[in-house]
Parts: sequence; C-alpha cells; structure tokens
Amino acid sequence: MSLDSKELRELIELIGRSNFVSFELEREGFKLRLEKGVGTAAGSTAGAVSVVPQPPAAGAPAAAPPAALAPASAQAAATPAPSALAPTASQEGPAAGLVQMTSPIVGTFYRQPSPDAAPFVEVGSRVRKGQVICIIEAMKLMNEIEAEIDAEVVEIVVANGQPVEFGEALFLLRPLA
Amino acid sequence: MFRKILIANRGEIALRVILACKELGIRTVAVHSTADTDALHVKFADEDVCIGPPASRESYLNISAVLSAAEITGAEAIHPGYGFLSENAHFAEVCREVGLTFIGPPPEVIRRMGDKAEAIRTVRHAGVPTIPGSGGLLEDEEQSRQIAERIGYPVLIKAAAGGGGRGMRVVEDAADLPRQLEAASSEAMIAFGVPDVYMEKYLGQPRHIEIQVLGDTHGNLLHLFERECSIQRRHQKLVEESPSTALDAELRARMTGAALASAAAVGYVNAGTVEFLLDVTGEFYFIEMNTRIQVEHPVTEMVTGIDLIKEQIRVAAGEPISFGQEDLKIQGHAIECRINAEDPDTFVPSPGKIRTFHVPGGPGIRVDTASYAEAVIPPYYDSMIAKVIAHGNTRGEAILRMRRGLESFVVEGIKTNVKLQQRILTDEDFVRGRLSTRFMDRFPVPVRKGQE
Repeated sequence: MSLDSKELRELIELIGRSNFVSFELEREGFKLRLEKGVGTAAGSTAGAVSVVPQPPAAGAPAAAPPAALAPASAQAAATPAPSALAPTASQEGPAAGLVQMTSPIVGTFYRQPSPDAAPFVEVGSRVRKGQVICIIEAMKLMNEIEAEIDAEVVEIVVANGQPVEFGEALFLLRPLA
Repeated sequence: MFRKILIANRGEIALRVILACKELGIRTVAVHSTADTDALHVKFADEDVCIGPPASRESYLNISAVLSAAEITGAEAIHPGYGFLSENAHFAEVCREVGLTFIGPPPEVIRRMGDKAEAIRTVRHAGVPTIPGSGGLLEDEEQSRQIAERIGYPVLIKAAAGGGGRGMRVVEDAADLPRQLEAASSEAMIAFGVPDVYMEKYLGQPRHIEIQVLGDTHGNLLHLFERECSIQRRHQKLVEESPSTALDAELRARMTGAALASAAAVGYVNAGTVEFLLDVTGEFYFIEMNTRIQVEHPVTEMVTGIDLIKEQIRVAAGEPISFGQEDLKIQGHAIECRINAEDPDTFVPSPGKIRTFHVPGGPGIRVDTASYAEAVIPPYYDSMIAKVIAHGNTRGEAILRMRRGLESFVVEGIKTNVKLQQRILTDEDFVRGRLSTRFMDRFPVPVRKGQE
C-alpha cells in the first residue's frame, strides 16, 4: 500500500508542523523518509524528502512514484534540497547531464603522453569522439584511451600517476550535442 | 618469504589462500570482476583490484589484467588457486618473464602433464601402469583381435572423434568382437563423421583414487596418501574421502610409489595430484596428473594435519617442505561434500541471493566457503558455494558427523544439493564402502524433453 500525492502532501505538512526532525515510513512497495534541515548555510529551513520506490512484492501493484516534490516550506537554499526519486542504484551516479568515463583496463593513469609533454586535456577542454584523452600504462605498454563521445571535460577524477582498476571513474564529461 | 601475494581466483579457494597468507604474515591482493565486488575474498584481502566485467574470459582469465593488477600493487607472487589460470602454462611462463613467482610447478611441467597423451607416454616410460590400449587406430579385424588378446577381455572400442562417454562399445569376448567392431565403426561414422576407432581395456566398476604429492626445490618429493573421489556425476566430483576403503597397506604402497615415480619423471615441484583408476581386480592405471591444488585438498589436510596451501607458498618462496615423509601418517578418516547452488533433483544451477546462511560446526566439522547471508551467487561462475568436511576417528564417525553437519547446514534463498548429499551419506553402498565411478548411476535425473 503506498500513498497517493494528496496523502503524501498531507503527511509532509503534518510532520512539518510537528516537532519531529526526521521521520521514516516503510510499507511494502514504498519507503518514505522526511528530514528537517537544521541550520543550512543560507539559514533556511530547507528539508529533504526522498521517496524511494521499492521493488513491489509479487502480486502487489507497482506504485507509480510521485513526481518531484519539494516540502511546502522549502526556500531556494545554498544547499539544494535533493528530492531524489531515482532508485538507489543511481544515487551515487554523477549529477544530471554529466557522464562518467571509466577505465577499460587495469593500470597507471597518466594525463600526458610523456613526463615533459603537455597533458592531453584540462578541465574545460573539448574532446571529439575517438580523441586520445589519457594514457593507461599496463605492463610497460602505454595504452591510449580514447573518448567515446564528443564532450567537454568537467572534472579529472583521478590524479596523474594513480593506479586505476577496471571500471574506475577517470573523467566527468558533459556530452556535446 | 614473500611480502605480498596476489590471488588470481575467486570464491572459497581465494579466501582459503588469503587466510593462509594472513597466518604467514603476507599481505594479500584480491582481484575480482564487477560481479564479485562484494565477495568475501575481496573483503578479507588487504587490497583489491577490479580487473574486468563479469565474464571470466574478460576478468579471471584475463592474463594482462591480472598481471597489471600485480604490477600496480607490487605483488611478488601469484597464487592461481584451481581452475581459471592454474594450469595455464603460458600464464606461468609470462609470470616468470616479468619476475613474478607463480605458486605452482614450472611452466614446462604444466605443459607436459597438461597434454594427456604426452603425460601417459612420460609415466609409462617411468614404469607406471597406464590403461592398456591399441595405442592407435584399429585397422582390421585380425589386428583388432590380436590387440584384444594382448589387452585381455573385456575391451572397449571407442570412436577416435568421440568423447564425453559417447561412441563406446564393450566387447565381452573374442566371439563378440567382429560384430561390435562393425557396429562401433558405423556408429562413429554416423555420430562423428569419422569411422576411426581404437581400443582400450574395459574397466567395469573402477574406483577413482588419487594421490596427493608435494615437491620442493631442495630435492624433496613426498606423498600425502590417497583420496577416493569415485562419487561423481558427469565427471564432476561430489564426495571425496581419505583414506580409501579399497586400499590396504600393500596397495597403498604400490600406488603412492607409482604416484611418486610419475611426479619424479617430470621433476615435479609444489603441490600436485596423480589420478588413477583402480579396477575390481586390484590393478590400477594412471589416467592423468593435475598440476595444481585441488578442490578436495581439505580431506588430506584433515587426516594428515598438514596445511597444503602454506606449504605451497613456502615451496614457491624457495623453502624446503616443513616435514618429512616419515612424519606423516593417516589419522582417522575425513569426508568432504561439495555443496552446489543447484536444484537437488534436476541439477539445474540456482544462482540468486542467499537469505539465510548457517554453517554447521561442532567437533570434527570444517566448512570452507565464501558465501554468507545476503550474498548474491552470480550466474557467471561455477555453482559450488561451500565444502563441508567431516573428520572422525573412524569412517563411521566421519559419516555420522557429516550427516549431522548436513542436517544443520541452513541455506535459504537459493536451492542447494544438501538433500542429495544426505541421500548419498545414508546410502547403503556408500556406508559399506562399495564405491565405483558408476555410483551416481543410481541417482537418476528426471529427463526433460530435448535433453540427452
């Protein structure tokens, strides 16, 4: 049994008016967590609402997750109130619009082709699909790693000379149209 | 002694090696696929490196990924476990080339014993009995008759292009030969497209007896007695024990002697197992040698008190074996049951999430496992999730302890073959020690449409 939008709004208002700082409700197919922010940077009372649809039990109708809800008392805050509606799997993923580029092999990450040369990219660089973006050295072999999409480099996640494993995040990229 | 070892494997054997390294004060590196990120061997190792996606070919069998992981962590040696790269001579060679110690025999030995025909030639040359056979294709009835006389009836006519137990015909006596020869040849033609057949002695109810051997780089080579592994289904072992009820002191002496001769013939170093088939007549024949640690090694550890993994590491580090042949004796009796994530009746694998996991304990029970409650058994690898080993002062006590252990082993969320193991442990033939590789024939699988 999950709550519809109206019931959810009522519950949030009820908790909001109460002295409770955090509230959690779990039912089959549905989990709700409310938390009141205490002293955010902007001094607002923005809180956090997260509604996480659990995989429905066999036979239970799948609950349609409510659209993004902000608590009634939220104000634009320096620390944004996340209303994470996505399933837990993507809660650790990159921010919206960005793509993680991960290492396809095990080895040591280098930003430039040789110690004296300039790095392949900096933050802000634009790369084309197929362009060499870094080197991963493995067993004395310098493997040139290519960008898989046209993108702008938003963040270089690993440090020069750092060992990396398969699947480790190397860059955060913003895809270019 | 090594300061850091990388374990190129997963599951219970990876954990087993990691824990042996902890006892030796050696730091450990676990490698894993993305499917094993939460695996126990990863959690217990000092360092871990993700080396690829779930598929074995791209992870645990990926030589460059494994070697790169050793490079970035500074591992000095690699323990390959069993399966995966453990008998890959090329991998052992590459390790040697890049200055990593492969914990096992030299690549040349792996290669030689890995080629079954070459292994048989090698040990025969050393005076070890091998299954009598034609040594080549059968040409005509007259030649076949002569070969059969030499080998002694009953004989087996096998399709040269066959395998997996298909394309074989038993010939009981000389009168039967022409007809069976004809039939075998045409069946081979139909099934495999090639009429070529060869002949071997037929062993009706053989027992699988293997001898554990251990050699070092100081000229020591010794054996740690036998294990019986006759209870198999489709060549997959289910139950192993030591000692074997089929061996008396005299036969044991002859078989361990043959095993040592086989190992000596190739200058064997580190742990290995020589496999034989024992006929009802008391004759035994070499079938192959496994140049690695085996799944069922705990059975030998329980009756000898020796830690085989630690010995492997010591030998690889150039140390002598820490005991002598005269220090060893069989103490009591040990039995191992392999617990697989599979339907106990149909043997279909049953991967998934384990909800409840309670391992048995108490006197004489050892469980080697990397499974735990909430663990997800992935579908990409073999289905063995645990080994239960029972030790007792007698075989009878070991059986009682195993039954008690199996009864108190609780696994929920996935299906396991615990019930099948219980049936085996209460089977009258098993209890009486009446074993052969035909044992599991009496545990039939319901045949689904389309299955062979």
